[in-house]
Amino acid sequence: MSSNSRVKTDEKTEEPYEPSRATRLFIVWRKLRTSKLAVTGFGIVLLVATLALLAPVIAPYSPESFFLTMRPPTLTHLFGTDTIGRDLLTLVLYGARISLYVGLGAVFIEISIGLTIGMISGYFGGKVDEILMRITDLVLTLPTLPLLIVAVAVFKSKDINTIVLVMGIFGWPFMARVVRSEFLALRETLFVEAARSMGASNWRIILRHILPNVLSTVIVIATMDIPWYIFWEATLTFLGFGDPTSASWGVLLWRGYLYLQDAWWIITFPGLALFFTSLGFNLFGDGLRDALDVTTRGR
Amino acid sequence: MSESTLITINDLKTYFFITEGVVKAVDGVNLDINKGEALGLVGESGCGKSTVALSIMRLIRPPGKIVGGEIWFEGEDLLRKGESEMRQIRGGRISLISQNPMSSMNPVFTVGGQIAEAIKLHQNVQRREIKGKVAEILDLVGIPDPSKRMEDYPHEYSGGMCQRAMTAMALSCNPQLLIADEPTTNLDVTIQAQILKLMKKLRKDFGASVLLIGHDLGVISELCDKIAVMYAGRVAEYSDLMTVFEKPKHPYTQALLESIPRLDVEEERLRIIPGTVPRLINPPPGCRFHPRCEQAMTVCSKQDPVLTEIEKGHKVACFLYDSNVRTKPQV
Repeated sequence: MSSNSRVKTDEKTEEPYEPSRATRLFIVWRKLRTSKLAVTGFGIVLLVATLALLAPVIAPYSPESFFLTMRPPTLTHLFGTDTIGRDLLTLVLYGARISLYVGLGAVFIEISIGLTIGMISGYFGGKVDEILMRITDLVLTLPTLPLLIVAVAVFKSKDINTIVLVMGIFGWPFMARVVRSEFLALRETLFVEAARSMGASNWRIILRHILPNVLSTVIVIATMDIPWYIFWEATLTFLGFGDPTSASWGVLLWRGYLYLQDAWWIITFPGLALFFTSLGFNLFGDGLRDALDVTTRGR
Repeated sequence: MSESTLITINDLKTYFFITEGVVKAVDGVNLDINKGEALGLVGESGCGKSTVALSIMRLIRPPGKIVGGEIWFEGEDLLRKGESEMRQIRGGRISLISQNPMSSMNPVFTVGGQIAEAIKLHQNVQRREIKGKVAEILDLVGIPDPSKRMEDYPHEYSGGMCQRAMTAMALSCNPQLLIADEPTTNLDVTIQAQILKLMKKLRKDFGASVLLIGHDLGVISELCDKIAVMYAGRVAEYSDLMTVFEKPKHPYTQALLESIPRLDVEEERLRIIPGTVPRLINPPPGCRFHPRCEQAMTVCSKQDPVLTEIEKGHKVACFLYDSNVRTKPQV
């Protein structure tokens, strides 16, 4: 590999120096491309995101227009219609927006809390670490589902943002643990000592020297957690604790499961959408893990 | 303390408080380095050389602690400085080159980026000019094609290049004191020679004082004007280079020099120093070298020898040269 890059640099000796950010992204992409599964995952994620963004444009009907109820898939209604006569394809497309919003929103909260606590805990250690980790253990041992139900009930609001917030608040301990353990290991490394010997402050070391080394792990965990949150939202709504007025995939499943024998399509299509989305995120996350490692460059 | 003294270490004590007890890694070290001078600090592994270096930088981390002494650096006691003042000094006025160049580089940043970071911390350089400055300093330490190679990651550098780059980083802010902790230990002999040559040249160009730490007397003698020999947390002998090599006084220094293989003398076997460095949790009483010393006297196990000047600029901590002890009848 090194001989390869040497040849390359020789070729463009005359060219002025270019900033490396674009090259770095390009390298990650090149490495990602070597794994078929990762590319598939990336493709699915990209597809779901595009469909969600473009839902108003590509959906065949408005989610508020009604047709005959519980029609099986036909050419006019590719996925059939639901119990109150809405076009299911339209609903699944609009549902993608909610599901992605839920997944990204909850992961954002998870990273905000988990990363902060993990960084402080792992870098400073001692009593701070002790206290923060006991809190983390506490949250980690709480049974998630009953707790989510109670929390949603306590907030007395079935608004989608409440659900996102609650899931994020209970979802961070794993992130905190992993980030902490990486910080614990990295704070002892020589390059951290070197940074210290160059006069860098604690926060500078945390944010500029150690965090970039942990970022790939954080991104991977986040990618893998997105489908997890989409699932939990679906579970909550399926159990009747969601926002029934929204059209998330969970709500569609919840409305459809009673009619499984008469109208298989109502539950099948949202279910498949859910399945492929989480599969996509998982494969993508797995591939990213390998691609983000700078020390092993693929060709 | 003369006018030209850059740093004076007085009775420095750095202990490590671990469960088994207190490790007295550095126990009363006295050293001076003059401006523009290079001092070699030699000793066996585990005798506290690196701890002295880290103490000067105030980078001793728990369970270690500097429990006593003074480090005068240009009229200021470093041990009384606040953390933020120390940050200004670290990398700015005192730089450290450590013994593992490869792992001292952050693997996720380019080499150039890391040097730029050091420059940004201590100097007011325009953003546009930083790239040029980094390339300039990499060129100085002999990195070929520096404006290209500065975009490489540390793992794309060889060990010798990494050490050069680390040296470049340490020199980027024109420090007054450069501490090099076994800078050539992990490199092969050719690269070792290159790095030494480089440090010699840089010392001349920048006029910085150097504290070179190592166990290889050959490496030390290449670069240094003065030598301090450390044994078990203390300085045993301190003098200029030639004096130490030609007229070593301390039995430990003598033994150390005799254990170097020589090409000009036919010898069946190499002399060795019997025994090992004592554990610093429970060091032997009196002179710490006495259990291994061939010339040990009774007083050696009872009292601590003090580092005293026996000739001008030649200090030894040994009772053999203490007139009070020598005249006394030995029991």
